[in-house]
Amino acid sequence: MNKELRPLFITWEYPPYKAGGIAAHCEDLATTMASQGYSPVVITYGEKEEKEFRDGVEIHRVPANNSTNNTLTWAMALGDRMEKKALELTKKQSFDLVHAHDWMTVPAATGIKKTLGLDMVFTVHSTQQGRDGINSDYQQAIHNLEWMGTYEAEQVITVGREFCEEVKHLYEVPEDKINYIPNGVDLDKFDSHSASLQRDNYALDWEQIVLFVGRMYPQKGPGHLIEAMPHILEQKPEAKFIMCGSGATEHYKGIAKSQVGDKVHFPGYVSDEALIGLMKEAEMTVAPSVYEPFGIVPLEAAACETATVGSYTGGMKDTIVHEYTGLHTYPEDHGSITNQVTRALNDPSWADWLGDNARDRVEDNFRWEQITSWTTGVYTEAVT
Amino acid sequence: MKILFLTRRFIDGDNVSEYVKALAEKATEKGHKAVILAFEDNENYTVDQKVRVERVPLHYEGDSLYSWSMMLNNEMKERARKYLDKEDFDIVHANDWLTVPGATAVGKYFEKPIVLTVHSTENQRGFNDPNSEVISEMEWKGCKEADKILVNSEDTYNSLKHDLDVQDHKIKVLNPLADNWQDSVLNTYEDLLKTEDKLIGE
Repeated sequence: MNKELRPLFITWEYPPYKAGGIAAHCEDLATTMASQGYSPVVITYGEKEEKEFRDGVEIHRVPANNSTNNTLTWAMALGDRMEKKALELTKKQSFDLVHAHDWMTVPAATGIKKTLGLDMVFTVHSTQQGRDGINSDYQQAIHNLEWMGTYEAEQVITVGREFCEEVKHLYEVPEDKINYIPNGVDLDKFDSHSASLQRDNYALDWEQIVLFVGRMYPQKGPGHLIEAMPHILEQKPEAKFIMCGSGATEHYKGIAKSQVGDKVHFPGYVSDEALIGLMKEAEMTVAPSVYEPFGIVPLEAAACETATVGSYTGGMKDTIVHEYTGLHTYPEDHGSITNQVTRALNDPSWADWLGDNARDRVEDNFRWEQITSWTTGVYTEAVT
Repeated sequence: MKILFLTRRFIDGDNVSEYVKALAEKATEKGHKAVILAFEDNENYTVDQKVRVERVPLHYEGDSLYSWSMMLNNEMKERARKYLDKEDFDIVHANDWLTVPGATAVGKYFEKPIVLTVHSTENQRGFNDPNSEVISEMEWKGCKEADKILVNSEDTYNSLKHDLDVQDHKIKVLNPLADNWQDSVLNTYEDLLKTEDKLIGE
Protein backbone atom coordinates (compact mmCIF):
# COMPACT_ATOMS: atom_id res chain seq x y z
CA MET A 1 0.00 0.00 0.00
CA ASN A 2 1.13 3.52 -0.75
CA LYS A 3 2.15 4.93 2.62
CA GLU A 4 0.92 8.35 1.52
CA LEU A 5 -2.60 6.94 1.82
CA ARG A 6 -4.34 8.04 4.96
CA PRO A 7 -7.02 5.88 6.59
CA LEU A 8 -9.70 7.38 8.81
CA PHE A 9 -10.61 5.01 11.66
CA ILE A 10 -14.15 5.24 13.04
CA THR A 11 -14.55 3.41 16.34
CA TRP A 12 -16.86 4.06 19.25
CA GLU A 13 -14.19 3.02 21.78
CA TYR A 14 -10.50 3.86 21.84
CA PRO A 15 -8.21 3.74 24.90
CA PRO A 16 -8.32 4.93 27.57
CA TYR A 17 -12.07 4.44 27.01
CA LYS A 18 -12.75 0.76 26.53
CA ALA A 19 -15.65 -1.56 27.14
CA GLY A 20 -14.72 -4.51 24.98
CA GLY A 21 -11.94 -5.65 22.68
CA ILE A 22 -12.46 -3.13 19.87
CA ALA A 23 -10.58 -0.37 21.70
CA ALA A 24 -7.40 -2.42 22.11
CA HIS A 25 -7.70 -3.73 18.55
CA CYS A 26 -7.96 -0.24 17.08
CA GLU A 27 -5.17 1.16 19.21
CA ASP A 28 -2.76 -1.68 18.38
CA LEU A 29 -3.61 -1.52 14.68
CA ALA A 30 -3.37 2.28 14.42
CA THR A 31 -0.18 2.45 16.48
CA THR A 32 1.50 -0.26 14.43
CA MET A 33 0.43 1.46 11.20
CA ALA A 34 1.95 4.70 12.47
CA SER A 35 5.20 2.88 13.31
CA GLN A 36 5.27 1.55 9.75
CA GLY A 37 4.99 5.03 8.25
CA TYR A 38 1.26 5.40 7.70
CA SER A 39 -0.74 8.31 9.10
CA PRO A 40 -3.94 6.94 10.58
CA VAL A 41 -6.47 9.37 12.06
CA VAL A 42 -9.03 8.14 14.59
CA ILE A 43 -12.46 9.62 15.32
CA THR A 44 -14.02 8.13 18.42
CA TYR A 45 -16.33 8.83 21.34
CA GLY A 46 -15.24 10.98 24.25
CA GLU A 47 -16.85 12.75 27.18
CA LYS A 48 -15.90 16.06 25.60
CA GLU A 49 -14.51 17.24 22.30
CA GLU A 50 -10.74 16.92 22.31
CA LYS A 51 -7.75 16.15 20.13
CA GLU A 52 -4.69 14.13 21.06
CA PHE A 53 -1.52 12.80 19.40
CA ARG A 54 -0.39 9.52 20.88
CA ASP A 55 2.13 7.02 19.53
CA GLY A 56 2.00 8.62 16.09
CA VAL A 57 -1.79 8.51 15.90
CA GLU A 58 -4.02 11.60 15.65
CA ILE A 59 -7.11 10.98 17.82
CA HIS A 60 -10.26 13.11 17.78
CA ARG A 61 -12.97 12.56 20.36
CA VAL A 62 -16.55 13.77 20.04
CA PRO A 63 -19.18 13.57 22.78
CA ALA A 64 -22.46 11.72 22.37
CA ASN A 65 -26.01 12.63 23.28
CA ASN A 66 -26.55 10.47 26.36
CA SER A 67 -30.27 11.15 26.64
CA THR A 68 -31.09 8.68 23.86
CA ASN A 69 -33.49 5.84 24.58
CA ASN A 70 -31.33 3.00 23.26
CA THR A 71 -27.84 2.19 21.97
CA LEU A 72 -28.93 2.23 18.32
CA THR A 73 -30.19 5.81 18.60
CA TRP A 74 -27.08 6.70 20.58
CA ALA A 75 -24.90 5.35 17.78
CA MET A 76 -26.92 7.19 15.11
CA ALA A 77 -26.64 10.52 16.93
CA LEU A 78 -22.94 9.96 17.64
CA GLY A 79 -22.48 9.08 13.97
CA ASP A 80 -23.84 12.45 12.92
CA ARG A 81 -21.34 14.21 15.19
CA MET A 82 -18.48 11.99 14.00
CA GLU A 83 -19.29 12.84 10.41
CA LYS A 84 -19.33 16.52 11.23
CA LYS A 85 -15.86 16.12 12.73
CA ALA A 86 -14.65 14.25 9.63
CA LEU A 87 -15.94 17.02 7.35
CA GLU A 88 -14.21 19.59 9.53
CA LEU A 89 -10.91 17.64 9.27
CA THR A 90 -11.15 17.38 5.48
CA LYS A 91 -10.82 21.15 5.23
CA LYS A 92 -7.19 20.68 6.29
CA GLN A 93 -6.28 17.12 5.27
CA SER A 94 -7.57 14.48 2.92
CA PHE A 95 -8.43 10.86 3.63
CA ASP A 96 -8.26 7.96 1.24
CA LEU A 97 -10.58 5.53 2.95
CA VAL A 98 -12.75 5.16 5.99
CA HIS A 99 -12.29 2.08 8.21
CA ALA A 100 -15.30 1.30 10.42
CA HIS A 101 -15.34 -1.10 13.36
CA ASP A 102 -18.60 -2.91 14.16
CA TRP A 103 -22.21 -1.85 13.68
CA MET A 104 -22.12 1.15 15.97
CA THR A 105 -19.94 3.03 13.50
CA VAL A 106 -21.85 2.09 10.34
CA PRO A 107 -24.03 5.25 10.37
CA ALA A 108 -20.96 7.51 10.67
CA ALA A 109 -18.79 5.57 8.24
CA THR A 110 -21.42 5.30 5.51
CA GLY A 111 -22.25 8.99 5.93
CA ILE A 112 -18.58 9.93 5.56
CA LYS A 113 -18.14 7.55 2.62
CA LYS A 114 -21.13 8.99 0.80
CA THR A 115 -20.46 12.66 1.45
CA LEU A 116 -16.75 12.53 0.69
CA GLY A 117 -16.84 9.79 -1.93
CA LEU A 118 -14.34 7.61 -0.03
CA ASP A 119 -13.87 3.86 -0.17
CA MET A 120 -14.80 1.97 2.99
CA VAL A 121 -13.40 -1.00 4.89
CA PHE A 122 -15.59 -2.59 7.57
CA THR A 123 -14.24 -4.85 10.30
CA VAL A 124 -16.88 -7.11 11.85
CA HIS A 125 -15.88 -8.06 15.40
CA SER A 126 -19.10 -9.90 16.26
CA THR A 127 -22.67 -10.21 14.98
CA GLN A 128 -26.04 -9.42 16.52
CA GLN A 129 -27.13 -12.98 15.84
CA GLY A 130 -24.16 -14.34 17.74
CA ARG A 131 -24.37 -11.88 20.63
CA ASP A 132 -27.98 -12.28 21.67
CA GLY A 133 -30.03 -13.19 18.63
CA ILE A 134 -32.46 -11.44 16.30
CA ASN A 135 -35.75 -11.71 18.15
CA SER A 136 -37.04 -8.14 18.28
CA ASP A 137 -37.41 -5.16 15.94
CA TYR A 138 -34.54 -3.53 17.77
CA GLN A 139 -32.24 -6.52 17.28
CA GLN A 140 -33.36 -6.75 13.65
CA ALA A 141 -32.46 -3.08 13.15
CA ILE A 142 -28.93 -3.73 14.45
CA HIS A 143 -28.63 -6.85 12.31
CA ASN A 144 -29.69 -4.80 9.27
CA LEU A 145 -27.12 -2.15 10.10
CA GLU A 146 -24.44 -4.85 10.15
CA TRP A 147 -25.66 -5.99 6.76
CA MET A 148 -25.50 -2.42 5.49
CA GLY A 149 -21.91 -2.14 6.69
CA THR A 150 -20.90 -5.23 4.73
CA TYR A 151 -22.93 -4.03 1.71
CA GLU A 152 -21.44 -0.54 1.60
CA ALA A 153 -17.85 -1.56 2.32
CA GLU A 154 -15.52 -2.20 -0.58
CA GLN A 155 -13.75 -4.75 1.63
CA VAL A 156 -14.88 -6.56 4.78
CA ILE A 157 -12.53 -7.89 7.48
CA THR A 158 -13.54 -10.55 9.99
CA VAL A 159 -11.44 -11.50 12.99
CA GLY A 160 -11.98 -15.27 13.01
CA ARG A 161 -11.67 -18.01 10.41
CA GLU A 162 -14.95 -19.71 11.30
CA PHE A 163 -16.50 -16.31 11.97
CA CYS A 164 -15.56 -15.30 8.43
CA GLU A 165 -17.81 -18.04 7.09
CA GLU A 166 -20.59 -16.98 9.47
CA VAL A 167 -20.43 -13.37 8.25
CA LYS A 168 -20.19 -14.42 4.61
CA HIS A 169 -23.36 -16.51 4.78
CA LEU A 170 -25.31 -14.32 7.19
CA TYR A 171 -24.92 -11.17 5.09
CA GLU A 172 -24.35 -12.80 1.71
CA VAL A 173 -20.98 -11.10 1.31
CA PRO A 174 -19.29 -11.85 -2.02
CA GLU A 175 -16.22 -14.05 -1.74
CA ASP A 176 -13.92 -11.46 -3.28
CA LYS A 177 -14.60 -8.78 -0.68
CA ILE A 178 -14.38 -10.71 2.57
CA ASN A 179 -11.14 -11.35 4.44
CA TYR A 180 -10.03 -13.16 7.57
CA ILE A 181 -7.40 -11.29 9.57
CA PRO A 182 -6.96 -12.38 13.19
CA ASN A 183 -6.47 -10.11 16.15
CA GLY A 184 -2.96 -9.75 17.46
CA VAL A 185 -1.07 -9.20 20.66
CA ASP A 186 1.37 -6.44 21.49
CA LEU A 187 4.10 -8.64 22.99
CA ASP A 188 6.16 -5.63 24.12
CA LYS A 189 3.33 -4.63 26.44
CA PHE A 190 3.51 -8.00 28.16
CA ASP A 191 7.30 -8.28 28.12
CA SER A 192 7.86 -4.83 29.57
CA HIS A 193 5.40 -5.44 32.40
CA SER A 194 7.37 -5.36 35.63
CA ALA A 195 4.87 -4.53 38.35
CA SER A 196 4.86 -7.24 40.97
CA LEU A 197 1.48 -8.74 41.76
CA GLN A 198 0.12 -8.51 45.27
CA ARG A 199 -0.65 -12.23 45.16
CA ASP A 200 -1.98 -12.17 48.72
CA ASN A 201 -4.89 -10.08 47.47
CA TYR A 202 -6.04 -12.98 45.32
CA ALA A 203 -4.89 -16.34 46.68
CA LEU A 204 -2.98 -18.08 49.45
CA ASP A 205 0.61 -19.20 48.83
CA TRP A 206 -0.29 -22.85 48.34
CA GLU A 207 -3.26 -22.22 46.05
CA GLN A 208 -3.16 -22.63 42.26
CA ILE A 209 -4.81 -19.74 40.42
CA VAL A 210 -7.39 -20.61 37.75
CA LEU A 211 -8.17 -17.34 36.00
CA PHE A 212 -11.29 -16.19 34.11
CA VAL A 213 -11.09 -12.89 32.22
CA GLY A 214 -14.12 -11.45 30.44
CA ARG A 215 -17.40 -9.63 30.75
CA MET A 216 -19.80 -11.45 33.05
CA TYR A 217 -22.42 -12.28 30.46
CA PRO A 218 -23.80 -15.63 29.25
CA GLN A 219 -21.92 -15.25 25.94
CA LYS A 220 -18.63 -15.56 27.84
CA GLY A 221 -19.86 -18.60 29.76
CA PRO A 222 -18.88 -17.78 33.37
CA GLY A 223 -21.83 -19.88 34.56
CA HIS A 224 -20.37 -23.04 33.04
CA LEU A 225 -17.07 -22.54 34.85
CA ILE A 226 -18.97 -21.89 38.10
CA GLU A 227 -20.85 -25.16 37.61
CA ALA A 228 -17.50 -26.96 37.23
CA MET A 229 -15.88 -25.38 40.30
CA PRO A 230 -17.13 -27.81 43.01
CA HIS A 231 -16.16 -30.79 40.85
CA ILE A 232 -12.67 -29.41 40.22
CA LEU A 233 -12.22 -28.69 43.93
CA GLU A 234 -13.18 -32.27 44.81
CA GLN A 235 -10.08 -33.43 42.93
CA LYS A 236 -7.86 -30.37 43.35
CA PRO A 237 -8.59 -28.48 46.59
CA GLU A 238 -5.56 -26.28 45.83
CA ALA A 239 -7.47 -24.56 43.03
CA LYS A 240 -8.48 -20.91 43.55
CA PHE A 241 -10.77 -19.31 40.98
CA ILE A 242 -10.24 -15.63 40.15
CA MET A 243 -13.05 -14.15 38.06
CA CYS A 244 -11.99 -10.82 36.51
CA GLY A 245 -14.36 -8.62 34.55
CA SER A 246 -17.33 -6.29 34.76
CA GLY A 247 -20.96 -6.95 33.82
CA ALA A 248 -23.43 -9.01 35.82
CA THR A 249 -20.75 -9.64 38.46
CA GLU A 250 -23.05 -9.67 41.48
CA HIS A 251 -25.29 -12.25 39.86
CA TYR A 252 -22.47 -14.68 39.15
CA LYS A 253 -20.70 -13.89 42.42
CA GLY A 254 -23.81 -14.88 44.38
CA ILE A 255 -24.05 -18.21 42.62
CA ALA A 256 -20.34 -19.01 42.85
CA LYS A 257 -20.02 -18.06 46.51
CA SER A 258 -22.96 -20.30 47.40
CA GLN A 259 -21.20 -23.18 45.65
CA VAL A 260 -17.55 -22.85 46.70
CA GLY A 261 -17.34 -20.00 49.24
CA ASP A 262 -13.88 -18.49 49.59
CA LYS A 263 -12.40 -20.62 46.82
CA VAL A 264 -13.63 -18.04 44.34
CA HIS A 265 -12.82 -14.33 44.21
CA PHE A 266 -14.42 -11.62 42.05
CA PRO A 267 -12.11 -8.58 41.92
CA GLY A 268 -14.30 -6.86 39.28
CA TYR A 269 -12.63 -4.93 36.48
CA VAL A 270 -8.87 -4.94 37.13
CA SER A 271 -6.18 -2.69 35.66
CA ASP A 272 -4.00 -3.89 32.79
CA GLU A 273 -1.03 -4.01 35.17
CA ALA A 274 -2.80 -6.29 37.63
CA LEU A 275 -4.32 -8.37 34.86
CA ILE A 276 -0.97 -9.12 33.24
CA GLY A 277 0.42 -9.95 36.67
CA LEU A 278 -2.45 -12.36 37.26
CA MET A 279 -2.02 -13.97 33.85
CA LYS A 280 1.66 -14.55 34.53
CA GLU A 281 0.91 -15.97 37.96
CA ALA A 282 -2.03 -18.19 36.98
CA GLU A 283 -1.72 -21.92 36.32
CA MET A 284 -4.06 -21.37 33.39
CA THR A 285 -6.79 -19.12 32.08
CA VAL A 286 -10.21 -20.58 31.37
CA ALA A 287 -12.34 -19.23 28.50
CA PRO A 288 -15.68 -21.09 28.66
CA SER A 289 -17.31 -18.89 25.96
CA VAL A 290 -20.52 -19.95 24.26
CA TYR A 291 -19.98 -17.53 21.34
CA GLU A 292 -16.55 -16.11 20.55
CA PRO A 293 -15.81 -14.69 17.07
CA PHE A 294 -12.14 -14.38 18.01
CA GLY A 295 -11.38 -14.29 21.74
CA ILE A 296 -8.29 -12.36 22.70
CA VAL A 297 -7.79 -13.98 26.13
CA PRO A 298 -5.92 -17.09 24.88
CA LEU A 299 -3.43 -14.87 23.04
CA GLU A 300 -2.90 -12.52 25.97
CA ALA A 301 -2.40 -15.50 28.26
CA ALA A 302 0.00 -16.99 25.73
CA ALA A 303 2.00 -13.76 25.74
CA CYS A 304 2.39 -14.43 29.49
CA GLU A 305 3.44 -18.03 28.79
CA THR A 306 0.20 -19.28 30.29
CA ALA A 307 -1.98 -21.91 28.64
CA THR A 308 -5.73 -21.52 28.14
CA VAL A 309 -8.50 -24.05 28.63
CA GLY A 310 -11.11 -22.78 26.16
CA SER A 311 -14.32 -23.83 24.43
CA TYR A 312 -13.97 -25.39 21.02
CA THR A 313 -15.89 -22.58 19.33
CA GLY A 314 -15.28 -19.68 16.93
CA GLY A 315 -11.84 -18.13 17.03
CA MET A 316 -10.60 -20.38 19.81
CA LYS A 317 -10.56 -23.27 17.37
CA ASP A 318 -7.57 -21.44 15.86
CA THR A 319 -6.02 -19.67 18.82
CA ILE A 320 -5.76 -22.83 20.95
CA VAL A 321 -4.08 -25.99 19.67
CA HIS A 322 -5.37 -28.83 21.83
CA GLU A 323 -2.69 -30.47 23.97
CA TYR A 324 -0.02 -28.23 22.39
CA THR A 325 -0.81 -24.62 23.41
CA GLY A 326 -3.79 -25.29 25.65
CA LEU A 327 -6.82 -27.50 26.03
CA HIS A 328 -10.19 -27.48 24.31
CA THR A 329 -13.46 -28.18 26.07
CA TYR A 330 -16.91 -28.87 24.68
CA PRO A 331 -18.91 -25.60 24.75
CA GLU A 332 -21.50 -25.29 27.53
CA ASP A 333 -20.25 -28.51 29.17
CA HIS A 334 -19.13 -28.15 32.80
CA GLY A 335 -18.00 -31.81 32.86
CA SER A 336 -15.60 -31.14 30.01
CA ILE A 337 -14.29 -28.02 31.77
CA THR A 338 -13.79 -30.06 34.96
CA ASN A 339 -11.79 -32.71 33.13
CA GLN A 340 -9.49 -30.38 31.26
CA VAL A 341 -8.82 -27.95 34.11
CA THR A 342 -8.06 -30.88 36.43
CA ARG A 343 -5.69 -32.44 33.88
CA ALA A 344 -3.64 -29.26 33.72
CA LEU A 345 -3.67 -28.73 37.50
CA ASN A 346 -2.53 -32.32 38.06
CA ASP A 347 0.58 -31.81 35.95
CA PRO A 348 1.99 -28.28 36.42
CA SER A 349 5.12 -28.99 34.36
CA TRP A 350 2.95 -30.07 31.44
CA ALA A 351 0.85 -26.90 31.88
CA ASP A 352 4.10 -24.89 31.77
CA TRP A 353 5.09 -26.70 28.57
CA LEU A 354 1.72 -25.82 27.03
CA GLY A 355 2.22 -22.18 28.05
CA ASP A 356 5.70 -22.06 26.49
CA ASN A 357 4.36 -23.47 23.24
CA ALA A 358 1.50 -20.95 23.29
CA ARG A 359 4.01 -18.12 23.58
CA ASP A 360 6.09 -19.45 20.67
CA ARG A 361 2.99 -19.75 18.51
CA VAL A 362 1.87 -16.19 19.26
CA GLU A 363 5.32 -14.90 18.33
CA ASP A 364 5.10 -16.72 15.01
CA ASN A 365 1.48 -16.04 14.05
CA PHE A 366 -0.21 -13.20 15.91
CA ARG A 367 2.12 -10.20 15.81
CA TRP A 368 0.58 -6.82 15.02
CA GLU A 369 3.31 -6.12 12.46
CA GLN A 370 2.04 -9.02 10.37
CA ILE A 371 -1.63 -8.24 10.97
CA THR A 372 -1.08 -4.61 9.98
CA SER A 373 0.54 -5.68 6.71
CA TRP A 374 -2.47 -7.85 5.93
CA THR A 375 -4.80 -4.96 6.78
CA THR A 376 -3.01 -2.45 4.56
CA GLY A 377 -3.15 -5.09 1.83
CA VAL A 378 -6.92 -5.04 2.21
CA TYR A 379 -6.82 -1.23 1.99
CA THR A 380 -5.06 -1.54 -1.35
CA GLU A 381 -7.81 -3.86 -2.55
CA ALA A 382 -10.45 -1.41 -1.34
CA VAL A 383 -9.09 1.66 -3.12
CA THR A 384 -8.31 -0.03 -6.45
CA MET B 1 -30.34 29.80 -9.72
CA LYS B 2 -30.11 26.09 -9.16
CA ILE B 3 -31.85 24.83 -6.07
CA LEU B 4 -31.52 21.39 -4.50
CA PHE B 5 -34.52 20.49 -2.34
CA LEU B 6 -34.37 17.71 0.24
CA THR B 7 -37.61 16.27 1.57
CA ARG B 8 -38.36 12.97 3.22
CA ARG B 9 -41.44 12.25 1.09
CA PHE B 10 -42.72 13.58 -2.19
CA ILE B 11 -46.29 12.49 -2.70
CA ASP B 12 -49.54 14.19 -3.69
CA GLY B 13 -51.54 15.55 -0.78
CA ASP B 14 -48.77 15.65 1.82
CA ASN B 15 -48.30 19.15 3.24
CA VAL B 16 -44.51 19.26 3.07
CA SER B 17 -44.54 17.69 -0.42
CA GLU B 18 -47.05 20.28 -1.66
CA TYR B 19 -44.91 23.04 -0.18
CA VAL B 20 -41.79 21.78 -1.95
CA LYS B 21 -43.70 21.18 -5.18
CA ALA B 22 -45.14 24.71 -5.21
CA LEU B 23 -41.71 26.20 -4.61
CA ALA B 24 -39.95 24.06 -7.20
CA GLU B 25 -42.59 24.77 -9.84
CA LYS B 26 -42.43 28.50 -9.21
CA ALA B 27 -38.63 28.38 -9.42
CA THR B 28 -38.68 26.64 -12.82
CA GLU B 29 -41.45 28.96 -14.03
CA LYS B 30 -39.10 31.84 -13.32
CA GLY B 31 -36.31 30.19 -15.28
CA HIS B 32 -34.42 28.63 -12.38
CA LYS B 33 -33.48 24.98 -12.03
CA ALA B 34 -35.02 22.78 -9.32
CA VAL B 35 -34.08 19.25 -8.29
CA ILE B 36 -35.93 17.41 -5.54
CA LEU B 37 -34.38 14.54 -3.58
CA ALA B 38 -36.90 12.34 -1.79
CA PHE B 39 -37.25 8.78 -0.52
CA GLU B 40 -38.24 6.21 -3.13
CA ASP B 41 -41.54 5.09 -1.60
CA ASN B 42 -43.33 4.25 -4.88
CA GLU B 43 -46.03 6.81 -4.08
CA ASN B 44 -47.72 8.91 -6.75
CA TYR B 45 -46.84 12.51 -7.33
CA THR B 46 -47.61 15.01 -10.03
CA VAL B 47 -45.28 17.87 -10.78
CA ASP B 48 -44.32 20.10 -13.67
CA GLN B 49 -41.96 18.32 -16.05
CA LYS B 50 -39.34 21.03 -15.68
CA VAL B 51 -38.84 19.98 -12.07
CA ARG B 52 -36.48 17.07 -11.72
CA VAL B 53 -37.39 14.57 -9.03
CA GLU B 54 -34.77 12.10 -7.85
CA ARG B 55 -35.97 9.18 -5.80
CA VAL B 56 -33.49 7.77 -3.28
CA PRO B 57 -33.98 4.12 -2.28
CA LEU B 58 -33.06 2.87 1.19
CA HIS B 59 -32.67 -0.79 2.13
CA TYR B 60 -32.94 -0.18 5.84
CA GLU B 61 -36.01 -0.01 8.06
CA GLY B 62 -34.49 0.77 11.44
CA ASP B 63 -36.40 0.62 14.70
CA SER B 64 -37.69 4.19 14.57
CA LEU B 65 -38.29 7.11 12.25
CA TYR B 66 -35.13 8.65 13.66
CA SER B 67 -32.79 5.76 12.82
CA TRP B 68 -34.47 5.27 9.43
CA SER B 69 -34.11 8.92 8.51
CA MET B 70 -30.46 9.03 9.56
CA MET B 71 -29.66 6.27 7.10
CA LEU B 72 -31.89 7.82 4.40
CA ASN B 73 -29.88 11.02 4.76
CA ASN B 74 -26.69 9.09 4.06
CA GLU B 75 -28.19 7.99 0.75
CA MET B 76 -29.23 11.57 0.02
CA LYS B 77 -25.69 12.77 0.67
CA GLU B 78 -24.34 10.39 -1.95
CA ARG B 79 -26.95 11.37 -4.53
CA ALA B 80 -26.38 15.06 -3.85
CA ARG B 81 -22.61 14.68 -4.06
CA LYS B 82 -22.87 12.95 -7.42
CA TYR B 83 -24.98 15.85 -8.70
CA LEU B 84 -22.65 18.44 -7.31
CA ASP B 85 -19.68 16.69 -8.87
CA LYS B 86 -21.35 17.05 -12.29
CA GLU B 87 -23.10 20.40 -12.07
CA ASP B 88 -23.05 23.17 -9.56
CA PHE B 89 -25.92 24.16 -7.29
CA ASP B 90 -26.49 27.49 -5.62
CA ILE B 91 -28.78 26.64 -2.72
CA VAL B 92 -29.54 23.56 -0.62
CA HIS B 93 -33.06 23.72 0.82
CA ALA B 94 -33.91 21.24 3.61
CA ASN B 95 -37.34 20.55 5.05
CA ASP B 96 -37.69 19.73 8.74
CA TRP B 97 -35.24 17.77 10.90
CA LEU B 98 -35.72 14.74 8.67
CA THR B 99 -33.37 16.15 6.03
CA VAL B 100 -31.07 18.22 8.23
CA PRO B 101 -28.17 15.67 8.33
CA GLY B 102 -28.05 15.42 4.53
CA ALA B 103 -28.49 19.12 3.86
CA THR B 104 -25.91 20.25 6.41
CA ALA B 105 -23.30 17.67 5.31
CA VAL B 106 -23.69 18.59 1.64
CA GLY B 107 -24.05 22.32 2.27
CA LYS B 108 -21.01 22.51 4.54
CA TYR B 109 -18.77 20.24 2.46
CA PHE B 110 -19.55 21.97 -0.83
CA GLU B 111 -19.85 25.37 0.83
CA LYS B 112 -23.37 26.12 -0.37
CA PRO B 113 -25.88 28.27 1.50
CA ILE B 114 -28.45 26.23 3.40
CA VAL B 115 -32.10 27.20 3.71
CA LEU B 116 -34.16 25.21 6.20
CA THR B 117 -37.92 25.27 6.37
CA VAL B 118 -39.15 24.18 9.80
CA HIS B 119 -42.75 23.12 9.26
CA SER B 120 -43.14 22.41 12.97
CA THR B 121 -40.84 21.78 15.91
CA GLU B 122 -40.65 18.75 18.18
CA ASN B 123 -41.79 20.99 21.02
CA GLN B 124 -44.91 21.94 19.04
CA ARG B 125 -45.61 18.29 18.33
CA GLY B 126 -45.62 17.54 22.05
CA PHE B 127 -42.11 16.17 22.62
CA ASN B 128 -43.60 12.72 23.18
CA ASP B 129 -41.58 10.60 20.77
CA PRO B 130 -39.08 8.19 22.42
CA ASN B 131 -36.44 10.01 20.35
CA SER B 132 -37.67 13.56 21.01
CA GLU B 133 -34.36 14.57 22.58
CA VAL B 134 -32.28 13.70 19.52
CA ILE B 135 -34.93 14.98 17.10
CA SER B 136 -34.95 18.32 18.90
CA GLU B 137 -31.15 18.32 18.86
CA MET B 138 -31.28 17.78 15.10
CA GLU B 139 -33.64 20.76 14.77
CA TRP B 140 -31.23 22.81 16.84
CA LYS B 141 -28.33 21.72 14.65
CA GLY B 142 -30.29 22.52 11.48
CA CYS B 143 -31.10 26.01 12.75
CA LYS B 144 -27.49 26.58 13.76
CA GLU B 145 -26.06 25.47 10.41
CA ALA B 146 -28.74 27.05 8.18
CA ASP B 147 -28.11 30.44 6.67
CA LYS B 148 -31.82 31.21 6.62
CA ILE B 149 -34.76 29.53 8.35
CA LEU B 150 -38.28 29.72 6.99
CA VAL B 151 -41.34 29.01 9.09
CA ASN B 152 -45.00 28.91 8.12
CA SER B 153 -46.51 30.41 11.28
CA GLU B 154 -45.90 32.67 14.23
CA ASP B 155 -46.23 29.63 16.50
CA THR B 156 -43.25 27.94 14.89
CA TYR B 157 -41.37 31.25 14.92
CA ASN B 158 -41.93 31.51 18.67
CA SER B 159 -40.91 27.89 19.23
CA LEU B 160 -37.66 28.41 17.33
CA LYS B 161 -36.93 31.59 19.20
CA HIS B 162 -37.76 30.39 22.69
CA ASP B 163 -37.26 26.60 22.59
CA LEU B 164 -34.23 26.46 20.29
CA ASP B 165 -32.71 29.89 20.94
CA VAL B 166 -32.56 30.77 17.26
CA GLN B 167 -31.45 34.31 16.51
CA ASP B 168 -34.30 36.49 15.38
CA HIS B 169 -32.62 37.75 12.21
CA LYS B 170 -32.21 34.22 10.81
CA ILE B 171 -35.93 33.43 10.85
CA LYS B 172 -38.47 34.51 8.25
CA VAL B 173 -42.20 33.84 8.58
CA LEU B 174 -43.83 33.04 5.25
CA ASN B 175 -47.37 31.75 5.22
CA PRO B 176 -47.73 29.30 2.32
CA LEU B 177 -51.41 30.24 2.06
CA ALA B 178 -50.52 33.86 1.27
CA ASP B 179 -50.35 35.20 -2.26
CA ASN B 180 -46.97 35.03 -3.97
CA TRP B 181 -45.25 33.43 -0.99
CA GLN B 182 -43.04 31.47 -3.38
CA ASP B 183 -41.69 34.74 -4.79
CA SER B 184 -40.67 35.73 -1.29
CA VAL B 185 -38.74 32.47 -0.91
CA LEU B 186 -37.02 33.01 -4.27
CA ASN B 187 -36.13 36.54 -3.15
CA THR B 188 -34.70 35.05 0.02
CA TYR B 189 -32.46 32.77 -2.04
CA GLU B 190 -31.28 35.71 -4.12
CA ASP B 191 -30.57 37.81 -1.06
CA LEU B 192 -28.55 34.96 0.41
CA LEU B 193 -26.50 34.58 -2.75
CA LYS B 194 -25.88 38.33 -2.91
CA THR B 195 -24.63 38.20 0.68
CA GLU B 196 -22.36 35.26 -0.21
CA ASP B 197 -21.01 37.14 -3.25
CA LYS B 198 -20.41 40.17 -1.12
CA LEU B 199 -18.53 38.13 1.47
CA ILE B 200 -16.41 36.46 -1.23
CA GLY B 201 -15.75 39.90 -2.77
CA GLU B 202 -14.53 41.23 0.55
